[in-house]
Amino acid sequence: MVGFALILILVAVIFIVFISVYIKRPVERVTDYEVNSFVQAVLQYTTQCQEESLDNLSVQKLISQCQDRNPCYYKEMDPCIMLNSTIKEIAKESWNVKPGSPIKGYSFIINTSEGNNLPQKMFLNITGGVVTNNYRTGFQPFGNPNGENIIILFNAYS
Amino acid sequence: MVIINKKSGQMKIQQMSFMIIAVFLFLAMVGMMVVTIKMSDLKNSATALEEQNAMLLVTKLANSPEFSCGDVYGTAKTDCIDEDKVMTLKANIDRYSNFWGVSSIEILRIYPPKNPLAKDIECTSTNYPKCNLITVMSGSSDFDKSNYVALCRKERYNDEFVNTCEIARLIVGYKKVQ
Repeated sequence: MVGFALILILVAVIFIVFISVYIKRPVERVTDYEVNSFVQAVLQYTTQCQEESLDNLSVQKLISQCQDRNPCYYKEMDPCIMLNSTIKEIAKESWNVKPGSPIKGYSFIINTSEGNNLPQKMFLNITGGVVTNNYRTGFQPFGNPNGENIIILFNAYS
Repeated sequence: MVIINKKSGQMKIQQMSFMIIAVFLFLAMVGMMVVTIKMSDLKNSATALEEQNAMLLVTKLANSPEFSCGDVYGTAKTDCIDEDKVMTLKANIDRYSNFWGVSSIEILRIYPPKNPLAKDIECTSTNYPKCNLITVMSGSSDFDKSNYVALCRKERYNDEFVNTCEIARLIVGYKKVQ
């Protein structure tokens, strides 16, 4: 009888360990081409914000313009408002997060840091739809003229 | 007395053998469950790999010399398509019929967005750039893959040429390998 109980306990322990290991598998952050290409395309998009030379700024340059709080040359528009609305509109048009679609939500995050190993500060966070545990990530770091690091992170949740 | 002990011993052996069979069956079932999960993972990985491969081809196409912006719009950029170049390519597509091994190539401008009620307007030499769809190569395809690209062109503004980049999807159609 004692042997029977021991076997039962042993099998139960093995089963519980197996189940807990299977459930507690870390959530995979999958980097993929589509999301990375989206980040690249967004950074290259030409905005309505103009410099003094009357060249329209790309989103990448607009991020630096917003950090420096330099107004756009044309109508002195606020670069941060423009950055926010441009990214929000592009993400809304590019990712269909309506119920029933494979993509449930997205988040576009811009972090800044003053050095490679220094902590990051969140500069902008635009989200849409629903955030889930299953997501794909696009990532692009670059430096601005002030020597700061800017890290773009885009997550598409499914 | 000897007979009782013999019977009790037989019972214990019987109990143990039943127990061994039960444990064996249980472990076999757990093993089968693990194998099934692993097999489904393998199938998912194969499908994901196939999709990733097709997507890689789309990305490669966007960065090929026939499509890419090169250094024309500042520094060299990835996932950037030169719209002016693509319009010229479209006019001479007969020379590239089997060049990429795909059945169709389309570029659909998605931002700035068109009127949601309006149909897609195919780009021709007369309406360019007031259009949103460039069919570089048309043909029937079994499945397609698409990826985001920056669609850049030169525009004349106050007697100067300025760079304009918009967001588009490069859609590539494939035929299934028989």
